[in-house]
Amino acid sequence: MSDYGKGEYEDREWLMIIVIGAGPAGLAAAEATSRNGSDVALIDSASRLGGQYWRHRSTVTGYRSNRADTLFSKVRGAASITYISEATVWSIEREGDLIRVNYMQGGSESSLTAEKLILATGAYDRSLPFPGWDQPGSMTPGAAQALLKGHGVLVGQRVVVAGTGPFLLPVATGLAEAGANVIGLYEAHSPMRWLLSPQALLLNVSKFAELIYYAGLIRKYRITPRFGRVVSRFDKGQVTITSVSSTLALKRNKSQTFKADVVAVGWGFSPDLTLGGIMGCKERVDVDGTTIFDVDAEQLSSQKNVWIAGEATGIGGADLSLLEGEIAGLAASGQKISSLLRFARFRKQVFSDALKRSYPVKDGWRSWAEKSTTICRCEEVSLGDIEESVVELGAEDSRTAKLFTRAGMGLCQGRICSRNVSEIVADLTNCSVTDEERIASSNRPIAAPIALGLLGDGKK
Amino acid sequence: MQSPDAIVIGAGIVGASSALSLTNAGLKVLVIDRGAVSSGTTGAGEGNILVSDKDPGPELTLALRSRDLWFEMQDDVGDSFELEAKGGVVVARHDDGPLMKLAAEQSQHGVTAQKLNQSSLHELEPYLHPDFHSGVFYPQDAQCQPMLAAAQVIRTVIARGGAFISQAKLTRIIVENGAVAGIETTQGIFKAPIIINATGTWAGELAEMAGSHLPIAPRKGFILVTEPTKKYVFHKVYDSDYVTNVASSDADLQTSTVVEGTRSGTILIGASRERIGFDGSMNYEILRRLAAQATSLFPVLRDVQLLRAYRGFRPYAPDHLPVIGEDSKVRGLWHSAGHEGAGIGLAPGSAALITDAILGRESFMDGSAFSPHRFATVSL
Amino acid sequence: MSKQVSFTFNGVAVQCEEGQSIAAAVINSGTLALRKTRFGDEPRSIFCGIGMCFDCVVVIDGVANQRSCLITAKANMKIESGS
Repeated sequence: MSDYGKGEYEDREWLMIIVIGAGPAGLAAAEATSRNGSDVALIDSASRLGGQYWRHRSTVTGYRSNRADTLFSKVRGAASITYISEATVWSIEREGDLIRVNYMQGGSESSLTAEKLILATGAYDRSLPFPGWDQPGSMTPGAAQALLKGHGVLVGQRVVVAGTGPFLLPVATGLAEAGANVIGLYEAHSPMRWLLSPQALLLNVSKFAELIYYAGLIRKYRITPRFGRVVSRFDKGQVTITSVSSTLALKRNKSQTFKADVVAVGWGFSPDLTLGGIMGCKERVDVDGTTIFDVDAEQLSSQKNVWIAGEATGIGGADLSLLEGEIAGLAASGQKISSLLRFARFRKQVFSDALKRSYPVKDGWRSWAEKSTTICRCEEVSLGDIEESVVELGAEDSRTAKLFTRAGMGLCQGRICSRNVSEIVADLTNCSVTDEERIASSNRPIAAPIALGLLGDGKK
Repeated sequence: MQSPDAIVIGAGIVGASSALSLTNAGLKVLVIDRGAVSSGTTGAGEGNILVSDKDPGPELTLALRSRDLWFEMQDDVGDSFELEAKGGVVVARHDDGPLMKLAAEQSQHGVTAQKLNQSSLHELEPYLHPDFHSGVFYPQDAQCQPMLAAAQVIRTVIARGGAFISQAKLTRIIVENGAVAGIETTQGIFKAPIIINATGTWAGELAEMAGSHLPIAPRKGFILVTEPTKKYVFHKVYDSDYVTNVASSDADLQTSTVVEGTRSGTILIGASRERIGFDGSMNYEILRRLAAQATSLFPVLRDVQLLRAYRGFRPYAPDHLPVIGEDSKVRGLWHSAGHEGAGIGLAPGSAALITDAILGRESFMDGSAFSPHRFATVSL
Repeated sequence: MSKQVSFTFNGVAVQCEEGQSIAAAVINSGTLALRKTRFGDEPRSIFCGIGMCFDCVVVIDGVANQRSCLITAKANMKIESGS
C-alpha cells in the first residue's frame, strides 16, 4: 500500500474511491477495486485490519481464518490502496460532484475527497434489557470476544454465554480455548427452527462443515448448550437462567440461579447506519424489524456514487459481507461483475434470510424488565421512567418519550437503547412501531463525538 | 369533547399555555395537534425565558410579565419542568457602548441590569476568556425544559376538564358568516366559536385555510449539544451580537454566540439564523462557526466534545413582533404565533393577553402592537 | 516477552502489555468497574467492547468521556473514573 499524501492521482487532486470500514466487506471492496488499479483509500477507526469479525492481535484465529490472511496480504500488497488507520469519520459532505470525508486522527482533524464512496461500517451486538444487564460483568458476546482476541484478556473465570444466534458459538468456544470456564451456553431458540429453511442449508452445504467444527470444540471443552433459555437476571455475581416460550416470554417457575463472573448476552446484530444516514441513503425496514439500506444489484444506494456493502444492507455475516464488498468494489471501479459472483451472493442471501427465521427476537423480551430496570444506560432512564412519560405525560411515540426522559440523548446517542425504547413505547400505547419511526431513530448527523476546538479550527 | 368553548390548535408551549389560561378562566378547552405534544419548534428550543435581549417596547413589557407568569405557572402546575432563574450574562465582544446603553434603557423599564467589570464578570463566569472585561448581568433571565413544560401544562388542562387529541391533522376551518364555527380534522369534527391558532411556524398556512393571511415565515436555527461535562458555564451567556441579529431582517446567515449549561450536564451552544425556507438539511460550516464562537468565549470548551446537533424553525413576522389577537377577517379566530426565538419565554404572557381579550376584560398591557390587524391590507 | 506499559488508574499503578486497550489492561489487573454513573452512582464496566455504547468511558489526562475499550494504554497516562 502507498503512504497517503495529499498528492495527485493522474491529473486529479482527489481520489477515485474511499472505502470506510476495514472489516470483511471493506477489505473485499478495496481489494476488488485495486484489481484495475483504481486509486482507493481504506479508512478504518481501529489500529488493525479486520473490523470486528476478524479481530486479532497478531494472527486471526478461528474457523477458516486463513481467508482473512489472504485478503489482508492482498490489500497490504496493492500499490493503489492507501490504508488510513485509527481514523474516526465524524461527518461526510458533498462538494459539487465530489465527496469529502472528515475524520479525526491522532488528535487532529483531516479530510479526504473522492468521486465515489463505499460504506462498510459493519454492525454491533444487539442488546435487550433485563434486571442487572447494566452491572459490571454483564456485557455483549462481542465485548468478551474483543477483549480476548484483540487484547489477549480473559474477562472472567465463570462465564455464561447466552442470547441467540450462531455468533454465540465462536464466542463460547473461543473463551473456553483461552481457559475460561464456560459454565453455560444458552440459546433462546430451538435448533429445530433451521428446518424452516431447508433451501438455505441445501444452498450452503459448507455451513455443515462449520457446524461440525464448532460441535467438536464444544465437546472438547465440555460446554453443554441448552436451548429455550435466557438470562433473566444478573445481580452481583449471581445469574438466573429461565426457560422461555417461543415468543421469549419467561416461564418464571422454570429458573435456576448460580454464580457467574460474566454474562455475555447478545441478540443478533444491529447494523451501523450512521454514515449512510448522513449521506441521505434510502432506508427500509427488514423483515426482522432491523432498519437497513436499500441497494440495487450492484450494491449502489439511492444516493449518487455511494455504495453500501456488508451488514448495513441486511445482517448476513462475514460470507455475505465479503461478496457484497467485492461486488461494490467492482461496480465502483467500473469492472465487470460475473454471474458466478452474483449467484454466490444470492446463496448467502438465502442463508441470511434463514438466520432471521431461525433466530427471531419476539416480543416476549418486554416482560423481562422490571420498573427499576435501566433501559437507557447512558442517561440511566428506567422502564418506570418511560412508562411515566407515556401514561402521565402523554408520550405516544419514542421521539416524544425520549424528549421527556432523555432516553437516547446520552453519549451513545441511542445506539444501544433506541430500538428498545421504540418497541416499549409502542407496547405501552398499543401501537406498532412505524417504519418511519425506526428509520428516523437512526438519524445522527454527528457520526462520532468531536472536540469543539477541532470543530471550530476547521472553520473556513 | 364535541363542542368545547374553545379549540387550541397546536400543542407546543404557546398552545399549551393558552389552553391552561383559558381553562383557569372557566372555559372547556380542546387542544389538537397534527403530531404529539411539542412536535414543532417547542421541541427544538433551548428553553429560554429572557428579558435581557429585548429593547424597551411592547415585547419587553410582555416578556417581563410573561417571565413572572412562568413562575406562577410552576406554582400552579408543579415543579416539573426544570424552571430555574439562572440569570443571563451578556458580554461585549467589542465596544461595550451599545450594550451599556441598552442596559440603561432597559433599567428604566422594569429590567434589573447590573453592570459588570472585569472582576465581577469573571466572578460570575470564572471560565470566561480573560480578555472579556465588560458585561451586564440580568438576574431575571430564566430557563426551563420546554418539552416537559408543554406536556405538564397539557396534563393539567386535561385534569381540569379539558381534552387533548394528538395526530389530528386539520383539514378544514369551518367559517360561517365571517366567523369560525368549528374545525374538521382527521380525528373528527369539532364545533367551537373560538379557535386559537398556536401553530407557530405554520400559522400562516392555517390562516390561509381560514381565508385570511398571516405573513409568518421560518427562520432556521441550529443548536449544538455537548457531552455531559463538568460545570463550566453558570448562567446563560451570550455576546451582545445576539441582540442585533434578532432585530435584523438579513436573509443571509447570521450567527451570534450563546452558551449555557443544562441540568443534565450538557452544554447548549447557539445561535444561527437563516431564511432558507423549510430546508432542514445539516450544514457543517455553521456548526464549525458556532463551535469557534463558543470556544472564543470559553476556551475550556475546546476539549469538550460535540455530541449532536439539531435544528428548528423559528416563526417570525416581518416586523419581528409576535402576532397576538383576533384575525382581521375571520371573527373568533385568534392568533398567538410568530414569537420567533422567544416563544418559550413569551408563552404565558401571550396566553394571558389572549384570554383577557377573548373575555373582554382589561389586560396587564395594551396589546395592540401585536394585533394581526397590522397586516391587514386596506382595500380601496 | 512483549514490552510492558505502566499507567495509573485512580491513582493505582497498572501494568499491561504494549498494545492493549486501557479497558483490557484495567480489567486484566483485577478491577472490573471502570466508572460510576453520574446520576445514580452505579458502577459500570465494559459492555459492547467495540466503541458503540460509551459505558467504558474514563478521564485520560484530564480529558473526559474517552472510550477505554478503544484507546491503547500509553506509558504514564493518568486515568481516572469520571462522574
